[in-house]
Amino acid sequence: MLLQASQITKRFGHRMVLNALDLSLQPGEVVTIFGPNGAGKTTLIQILSTLLKPTSGTLQIGGINALEEALRVRPSLGLIVHEPLAYLELSPYENLKLFGRLYGLNGLEQRIADLLDEVQLTPYAHEPVRIFSRGMIQRFMIAKALIHDPALLLFDEPFSGLDLAAKQLVLKRIDHERARGKGIILTTHNTELGYHVGSRFHFLLNGQIETVAEKEDIGLETLSREYEERLKG
Amino acid sequence: MEAFRQIGWLIHKDLALQFRTKDMLALIIVFSVLVVLIFCFAFGPIFPEQLEERGKLAASVLWGTFLFAGIIALNRSFDIERMNGALHGLRLTGVDASYLYLSKVVSIFLFLMLLEVVVTPITLQFLDVLTVLPVALQAQLPWLLLKLIGVIAIGTLGFCAVGVVVSGISTNTPGKESLLSVILLPLTFPVVMAGAKCTVSLLTTGGLGGNFWISVLVVYSLVFLASSYLLFEFVVEG
Repeated sequence: MLLQASQITKRFGHRMVLNALDLSLQPGEVVTIFGPNGAGKTTLIQILSTLLKPTSGTLQIGGINALEEALRVRPSLGLIVHEPLAYLELSPYENLKLFGRLYGLNGLEQRIADLLDEVQLTPYAHEPVRIFSRGMIQRFMIAKALIHDPALLLFDEPFSGLDLAAKQLVLKRIDHERARGKGIILTTHNTELGYHVGSRFHFLLNGQIETVAEKEDIGLETLSREYEERLKG
Repeated sequence: MEAFRQIGWLIHKDLALQFRTKDMLALIIVFSVLVVLIFCFAFGPIFPEQLEERGKLAASVLWGTFLFAGIIALNRSFDIERMNGALHGLRLTGVDASYLYLSKVVSIFLFLMLLEVVVTPITLQFLDVLTVLPVALQAQLPWLLLKLIGVIAIGTLGFCAVGVVVSGISTNTPGKESLLSVILLPLTFPVVMAGAKCTVSLLTTGGLGGNFWISVLVVYSLVFLASSYLLFEFVVEG
């Protein structure tokens, strides 16, 4: 088991954001979590990435207690959230070099060149990230999340603000990483794209997670209809 | 060895960010020179005849300026980390929080020392301190200035040791600037007091006037450096 979250609860003051949530992930699996704004998707991703501590519950990543030994498990995580998690005054090359060095990577120059080429940012490798468009920043974030070839990828709304080409790049990359045996947890409210890449589906509504189905057991139309019904009701 | 390398890369990143835009450097130097000029105009053009009074004035101006410039530098430095989740990006690499702490202390220390090396001669010149020094002290002027820079460096290290922790705590709270000042000013009072006392003594006698104030300065800096180094993990991880 790559990830095992049990009874994860998160409260902010009196407000319950996540309520006794269970989630698991196997290598080579893509778990898609659908939820509307405010459902707790970002909080869940922050907890799974060990950046935020849950109020209660346990979290095992790669067999390690991630809440007790966060520093040990973090290098095995790749995270894409709403923020770049990087320095916008630095260039993509400088950012990737800094983070690659901190991860202790060998062959870093080649790795950076390959990743920048893949996300089509080679011509902008030495420009500050702050001048980039939203789509370019998202592509840079993909490169940054993958620089250390993590075993577990956590994507929070990875398709938001992307043009068609960038969306296809993300989809292709998710397929590629899944084929390499990486585990991926993805949150989105876009049922079509979430269905396309996912192998197992969940709804996150009012802080509670519901397992919907494996991909082979449900079609896009049924999934979309069920999601809309659950949102209405 | 890996620890030193990681700290080195983090310092390199901090300094690159500070000097990349130069807005911070310009802001802090202009601010500091303005403070010095305000004091000069307020107390001048005829400054106290007695060397001791003039030394006290120079020490007040220097340490007051360093304190407020330091608060600006700390705020700015943690703003860079907070913006766009950069600090979370660093945390995800699994880098030890104590390395983050040490790199921040060193980079802000170097930045403030650069400022102090610029502002100190300007202050001494504008307050006309050097011309009233006794002949014996004027003969040892380079050595005197070196000792002064040494005292300022120890004080700056103590300020950074506390300031980085307090900035780390206040950076995620509403009204962080005021919170930083409210917590930091009382905590750094011993540094400013001991630094000012040592500075007055150096400018008037050329010596430190005994070991008491320099001991306060050194012990305070080392104690806060060590305790903050151990505490910083709780600041970063919450």
